[in-house]
Amino acid sequence: MIGVGFTAQPEERYLELLGAVLREEPDYLELVPETTWRPARPREEGGDDAPIAPIEPNGFHAAFLELGRETDKPFVAHGVGWSPGTARRDEARDARWLERIRADQAAFRYRWYTDHLGVSVADGRDLTLPLPLPPTDAAADVVRASLERLQSIFDDVGVENSVFYYHLGDPLDEPAFLHRALGGPRMHLLLDLHNVYTTAVNAGFEPERYVDALPLDRVIEIHVSGGADSDPAWLPGGRTLRLDSHDHAVPEEVWALLDRTLPRCANVRGVTLERMEGTVGEADVPLLRDELRRVRRAVESARG
Amino acid sequence: MAERAVEELARLERILADAFQSPDPRAAITAAAEDATLPAALRAHLSAASLDGVRVAGLLIAKLRFERLMHGSREAGEWFQRDPAAFAAAFRRYHAEVAPTAEGPLQEGAAFARWFREADSGNA
Repeated sequence: MIGVGFTAQPEERYLELLGAVLREEPDYLELVPETTWRPARPREEGGDDAPIAPIEPNGFHAAFLELGRETDKPFVAHGVGWSPGTARRDEARDARWLERIRADQAAFRYRWYTDHLGVSVADGRDLTLPLPLPPTDAAADVVRASLERLQSIFDDVGVENSVFYYHLGDPLDEPAFLHRALGGPRMHLLLDLHNVYTTAVNAGFEPERYVDALPLDRVIEIHVSGGADSDPAWLPGGRTLRLDSHDHAVPEEVWALLDRTLPRCANVRGVTLERMEGTVGEADVPLLRDELRRVRRAVESARG
Repeated sequence: MAERAVEELARLERILADAFQSPDPRAAITAAAEDATLPAALRAHLSAASLDGVRVAGLLIAKLRFERLMHGSREAGEWFQRDPAAFAAAFRRYHAEVAPTAEGPLQEGAAFARWFREADSGNA
């Protein structure tokens, strides 16, 4: 087990405020690879008919590599752009993405790669937010096949149980779906406990029921984070849903889930604290340091 | 993998992508769930969706695109600061009319500028 991880976000203020925390507290750093990329040439120059430009690193790519060299901390990758559940893939888009992530892997030597369960690229449209899949064998086959493609680059790949605000079936069927989708060798689950908690609150079930049905032997990494309620103006009657916004402290319910779940994940390699860029002020810095230390206590307790 | 099953998944993706680009994703998904021309299994999946959850997902998708545009276009940001209501109305039209295929903020900004030029010349 590597230990405790923390997200390194591509935002100057985040890196400035949390520079010491990133260097001193975690054992590894988690990156969202796509946030360190940009298209080599804006499509505007040639309009929609212009040849698709390759993807190149942006300024944060070099900054994170330097941070890794300076601290000697390993990286793990948590992508947002592969869209493992897309049924009909755009081969040209995939080829560019794979070319870039292959080059990144040579530079960052990610210990493992995970993406988000669901469809974020649907019918060629990048919706950014992962959308739920129907809990069918065919959808599980699509996810597994897309992960197999990544195994030409990464030894260990996986998906995170995403937060979904609606479902195309019973949300408590998702653990069985994950058993099927992750049935191949070296395919793993990134267990996001705040996503479990958020879905449980919104859909009205006990989060332990979901966790207990998961393939816990497949868990490679655990995420903890916080969130907030949606704007009461969004829904009729002022109803709110909990959002996985990574903008507040980790709730006690999620800490309790971590303490309960971590000792049962025999193959887990790390527990990562997630925080969104644009949500950190000076007052949050000691709180985030404390949260990382609490993660470490949970890891050490689970190790016995 | 059975080709028919994959085609059905792709069809579901098209329905959802259309719904989340529409002004009212809840109405679009409700209509699809009642569309007798769709396979029964697909309609059953859509019927299971919480309409409040669909509404929140639709708002988050639009919000993420709005943020991408704000990061990619100084002109759009200045318009939003100057006249939020007019900009919001324009953004809603843009979101409905232009498929979200931009890779990153700069492309989103370029797509918005192109859409606005074309919309503006159409009104002239």
